[in-house]
Amino acid sequence: MQKQDFKTHKSVPYLLIMPSMLILSLFLYWPTIQSLILSLYRNAPFGSIKIYVGMQNYFTLFSDPAYLASLIRSALFVFITIFGGLIVSLMLALLVNKKLYGIKVYRTIFFIPYAISPTVAGSLWVFLLNPVAGHVNYILELLFNVQVPWLTSGVFAFTAVIIASIWKNMGFNIIFFLAGLQSIPDSVYEAAEIDGASSFQILKDITIPLLSPTTFYLIIMNIIFTVFQTFGIIDIMTQGGPADATNMVIYKLYRDMFINFRPGLAAAQSVILLGLVLLVTFFHFKFGSKGIHYQ
Amino acid sequence: MKKISLIITMALLVLLTVSAAAQEPVEIEFWHAMGGYNGEVVNDLVERFNESQDEVHVKSQNTGSYNDTLTKTQAAVQSGSAPHIVQIYEIGTQVMVDSGIIIPIEDLGRDVVGDNTFDWGKFLTPVSNYYNVDGKLHSMPFNSSTPLLFYNKDAFREVGLDPNDPPQTFAEMVEYAEALTIRDEDGSIERYGFTLGIVGWFVEQMAANQDAQLVNNNNGRDGRATESYLDQEAVVRFIELWKEMVDQGIMLNPGRGWDGANQAFLSGRSAMIIESTASVGRFTNGLEEMDDQLGTAFLPRPEGVDRGGVIIGGASLWAIADHPQEELEAAWKFLSFLSEEEQQVDWFEKTGYFPVTKAAVEKEMNTQFFSESPNHLTAFLQLLLSKKAVSTQGALIGTFPEVRQIVEEAVEKTLQGDMTPQEAMEEASARVDRSLEQYNSLYQ
Repeated sequence: MQKQDFKTHKSVPYLLIMPSMLILSLFLYWPTIQSLILSLYRNAPFGSIKIYVGMQNYFTLFSDPAYLASLIRSALFVFITIFGGLIVSLMLALLVNKKLYGIKVYRTIFFIPYAISPTVAGSLWVFLLNPVAGHVNYILELLFNVQVPWLTSGVFAFTAVIIASIWKNMGFNIIFFLAGLQSIPDSVYEAAEIDGASSFQILKDITIPLLSPTTFYLIIMNIIFTVFQTFGIIDIMTQGGPADATNMVIYKLYRDMFINFRPGLAAAQSVILLGLVLLVTFFHFKFGSKGIHYQ
Repeated sequence: MKKISLIITMALLVLLTVSAAAQEPVEIEFWHAMGGYNGEVVNDLVERFNESQDEVHVKSQNTGSYNDTLTKTQAAVQSGSAPHIVQIYEIGTQVMVDSGIIIPIEDLGRDVVGDNTFDWGKFLTPVSNYYNVDGKLHSMPFNSSTPLLFYNKDAFREVGLDPNDPPQTFAEMVEYAEALTIRDEDGSIERYGFTLGIVGWFVEQMAANQDAQLVNNNNGRDGRATESYLDQEAVVRFIELWKEMVDQGIMLNPGRGWDGANQAFLSGRSAMIIESTASVGRFTNGLEEMDDQLGTAFLPRPEGVDRGGVIIGGASLWAIADHPQEELEAAWKFLSFLSEEEQQVDWFEKTGYFPVTKAAVEKEMNTQFFSESPNHLTAFLQLLLSKKAVSTQGALIGTFPEVRQIVEEAVEKTLQGDMTPQEAMEEASARVDRSLEQYNSLYQ
């Protein structure tokens, strides 16, 4: 019999994580380091000229009112999208948690938006909100005789992008809320009903507190989703406009890189974003299990 | 005996394979930004070239939008896999000149290939003027267009306007649009008089139409542009007109881009539009479907201002330098093939982009094409009657794509009422100045 001696096989664990480390380094760590380096330079288009500028790109960014405005705008956008999104998703999850005939069909329908690509989602909303031939304005005109300048006025465009993002991410949230709801034992509800609790009290004092681990997880995931994944929707729906009203950090980054040809400045923005995501993740690890009601 | 014949056969076989290998066509890559129907026309041209001879084989590839194509070319150059020929939009001209990766096609044709038969004067002057930098044709003019005023003749008749007397001045634009706007009893607008997508190109053209330059140093043609003229009278006047018409509810603001305005015009929600001459065919057919008739006219200008003209827009084909001699020769062969009369006529008739050579225009005259479609003639005359000046030659700006975005944002700020046209254009102008300064500092 061969003896399993882990002390003499110190290299085995490293060997085992080698493949994933290789992939991670190649596709994650290496590009990250590259962006860090790139953010210290100013480049001419086509890379023919490269000037070392140190931290100047970062100084430029933080003294640029447009960048600071886009940071604040993004924070507001993330906050509203997550707050609104989670409420809507929870309500829908409560509805599709009912044991009804054909409920699986409804669950699938609500999940579909999550499965389609952001580009398609954006195009659908552009069709719906089109000022000339859009269905939304057509119905508003019939009912209230108003025409809303959905994508050509700042406030409405901002609202439209929020609605589209909430709609797009709803499926993901519903699935997790549903799983959370189903893990709450029926006995708790039965006890509450016997004690004469109203359905609102049950929701407020039992369902929501018992869902808090799911909610917390969803908040973290949604922050990351909304910061990065709205790019596609914004690109299709508003291209950051009108007059910067929907120009979020991720979209500004794209513009600086691919339209304004400022790779250094764009890299600096991606490093700042990376920092923010690290902060959120740290927060998640540190407080993920505290102050939250686990059974 | 048998052995000898075997050896001879073998030797022959070897010889044949070797000579066959020698005849293997040179393969070159061509990246373009023509999607959909226009993309098919490009592919047809490429196929026709490939079949016409067996020395060169062109592989064409659609690389997305104009902007995507420029970005992808940058990435490809840096990773050493650049194409041989690439289609770049007109506003990418300065950045390509500065890139250090291209070879001006005049150098390619004359010096690298030594083609003495090519007639460098064959292009229409307004077209070759745009792509002429430092006295040399830098890229092969390909798809060219200018903006044009389109109007629905039946809408004109309906409200008692003469369909053969389109508006010529800014004041007339307001007057006509007012007359063409139809409101229902609730006051909501059923048809707008005019519509215009928020696209920076139109602002540039409207400045040129007043014989005004966009940037200093003779529109960046005499030296690098360092100062923007966006805050000067010509541009501000046009933005004021734009705002006035939108505020009065006689002009539809369809937002940024082309599609919204197009839909509005084609669905009869708007009676007039300014759009690219490449849309003449599409609009003619679209209005015919509604039993309406299309009219076209030169771009309007303010009263009492001398007419400048239009700048050629669209894109041209650039040759990338870093390739072996035989591939450069192959690229030249393809480029000169595209400028031949037959291909030019074909391209024009199928896509609506101008033919860019004099021979092709003459051919169209002889075949009575213009008398059969007068709207194409309007487009041509507007281009040919443009004043020969730096204003209509078009500006050279290294950060032109960014400048366009800045202009579009300024227009949006004005239309939303955040700023007056003067304020918005002053802010835009300051941003352009900063952008120019940063760009220029890289090349000092």
